[in-house]
Amino acid sequence: MADSQLEATVAASAFQKQWFADLRRRVFDDRQPYALLQADVPFELFDLVDIPAASNQWWAAIVAAKRQAPKFLDAMDADGLHGDLCRYCSLGYASTRYPDAGDSPWGGLPPPRLLCARLTCDCIHRVFSLWAATFGAELFEIDHPGAGDLPPRWWELGRHNWRELVEPHRLAFVVATLERLVERLEAISGRALDRDALRERLELVNQQEEVFDAVRRLIAAAPECPVRMTEQITNVMATQWVRGSEWALAHARAFHDEVKRRVDDGVASCPDERARLMWIGAGLWHDTAFYTAFEASHRAVFVWSMYLAFGPDGYIRYGLDDPMAALASRTASFNEYLHNPPWAAEWIVHQAREHRIDGALVLRPRSMKPGATGRLFIERALEDAGIPVLPIDADVVDARGWDAEGARAGVRSFLDTRVF
Amino acid sequence: MIRGAFGATPAADAHLEPGIFPSRLRRLVEDALTGRLTDAARIVIPRTSDADYKCFLYLRELVRRGVTTALAPVVLFDLLQSRGPDVRAYDVARTRALLDDLSSESGRTPSDDDFRGEIVRTNAARAAARRLVELRRPVPRVAGAEVFPLLAAFWEMDPDRYAEMASDAAKRIAARPPLAGPRVLLTGAPVDSHTLHETIESHGAVVVDEVGPWGSGAAGDDVRIDDDPVAALADKYRADSIGARTPVDALRRSTESKLEDVDAVVVSLPPDDAVFGWDYPALRDVLNARRVPHVCLRCEPYKRPTLAEHAALDAMVSAVSRLQEARNG
Repeated sequence: MADSQLEATVAASAFQKQWFADLRRRVFDDRQPYALLQADVPFELFDLVDIPAASNQWWAAIVAAKRQAPKFLDAMDADGLHGDLCRYCSLGYASTRYPDAGDSPWGGLPPPRLLCARLTCDCIHRVFSLWAATFGAELFEIDHPGAGDLPPRWWELGRHNWRELVEPHRLAFVVATLERLVERLEAISGRALDRDALRERLELVNQQEEVFDAVRRLIAAAPECPVRMTEQITNVMATQWVRGSEWALAHARAFHDEVKRRVDDGVASCPDERARLMWIGAGLWHDTAFYTAFEASHRAVFVWSMYLAFGPDGYIRYGLDDPMAALASRTASFNEYLHNPPWAAEWIVHQAREHRIDGALVLRPRSMKPGATGRLFIERALEDAGIPVLPIDADVVDARGWDAEGARAGVRSFLDTRVF
Repeated sequence: MIRGAFGATPAADAHLEPGIFPSRLRRLVEDALTGRLTDAARIVIPRTSDADYKCFLYLRELVRRGVTTALAPVVLFDLLQSRGPDVRAYDVARTRALLDDLSSESGRTPSDDDFRGEIVRTNAARAAARRLVELRRPVPRVAGAEVFPLLAAFWEMDPDRYAEMASDAAKRIAARPPLAGPRVLLTGAPVDSHTLHETIESHGAVVVDEVGPWGSGAAGDDVRIDDDPVAALADKYRADSIGARTPVDALRRSTESKLEDVDAVVVSLPPDDAVFGWDYPALRDVLNARRVPHVCLRCEPYKRPTLAEHAALDAMVSAVSRLQEARNG
């Protein structure tokens, strides 16, 4: 049994903490710029002009995991921001706007030079405008043209035929916007973006995601799940924020090798595994123990989340003659891949079959309205495929309304009555 | 044009998650799934909000899966609202694409002169609507609940008939005496019915303006007439649109320009609101600085407010009276 964490997991956590400490030193001591980004912004462009970038969602997850979210969110409530507004994308803002309400992890976010967000959900423009104003920083927005044509099996098209995946007018718009973003980044950093370096970086991103693809296949094919979902997430996300960097690729390989060793040695995260579960939605950052809570009682293991699976299918782009277009093709449709019909349901059912999933837990986010869309299509598609579904009402960062024991009891009942 | 209404939408509810989609979109999907849209040649869904976009994707999927078959092609009118330099060209191109699609359906391609003629007709209707708007403030001669449907009809009537109807109504209303009561601006999430106006006015106030595309904002300024009428239309709809994707600074300017000559403000933030609540603290600070009483309503605008919300409206009206008494000595 895999009682201890992978060495890679320990290294990934340490890397993130050190990375953040270096960021604070760079900003406060060296007065160098950095950027705060939504998770779906192309981080590669920032790194290539030497502007490090922190992810809003990553920071929100850290704040929630450190049990500080309720304090900041209480302050937000007290300021008149009603409880149905999205908490996941705004927790970082709350930690900046109401700094005395809680203890920001690791000393808190330093002031960025730039914030950048894709205008997917309607609230993003609001949250980032408020956040940028609070910091006194610049905001760059990447609008989100809507998809009118969504061909089947996007995860296959995306690798080699990505131009077919995104309608030409959408692709052209996103390319133009990314070019403007590059102009701003070059002006801020004083460094020109090297297009050859961009191509090389995307090739390294492809290599990194190929490694994750291999890990995914190992997990899918192994008789029993070799690595817990929470560890998968830690390893994948630590590298995704610096994807294509030397460290990220080396770490991905180290992670792969450790997982492979476990598979070769017959090590399972939960020996005598009886049920393989998938988690659909963003992570339950304030209660990650939830994901291991059914191992002892039911030998039920969370095998799959989007975090490992999405990298290989969402990021790999072969044919990098025009690297900016390739990058734009990845950027243009993140939400459609993960949330919207027909793409999200089709992909998740495919993944469930690949991973021999016995039951799916689908997040019903309390306040993330766009993140909650498409859920009924996903639930129905899974049930139609013979995979029982349990919806979980929860907010991914806001623990205030979370009934941890009630939710666990619900899962145990689901396992007893629908899975076994 | 489909607007929200009170009432059950069971067919839509099977596919649309609760608390996300406003009533008008639930009604649209309900109508689509129950065969009420079989006469439509196209179902055009503008990019008013993320929920509208999702509704477009849902309808396409419901057709693809055979949940509904007797449905016209569903088209996304992807008019973006942000202010980036690439947005205008994108919007003009999407407007042309919509025109091409409609032309292919009708078999008739309008010339630029045809367009300009339509713009002239519609501008006349806009002018008539503006005459109605002028009778709401600074001295209100018509209740919000009465004039809102007249203004909203701009979207639903032939322009010539609308111009005639609105002009006649304006003449009649102009002869009326001014209405008493605190003058209220209704803001927050735009409303597409006058139910909330009735509620507010049942407390003795007069709704003299609202933020959104259906009331005083329905007609807006004229569409310019120039060499490129399609671009003029795209520009008009981008500049005028008030919705969930309207840039916050534009919405703030629009709202603050409406604060002149109002005595109180009602902020509607219904349960499906994901956007306008973010603007509330800043608006509250402006209102407090100007000493304008206000109340926030979290109810569904088509339903009766709670007793507590009625009490809050009463308190707001009383606060206006006290302020006016204090000002008048």
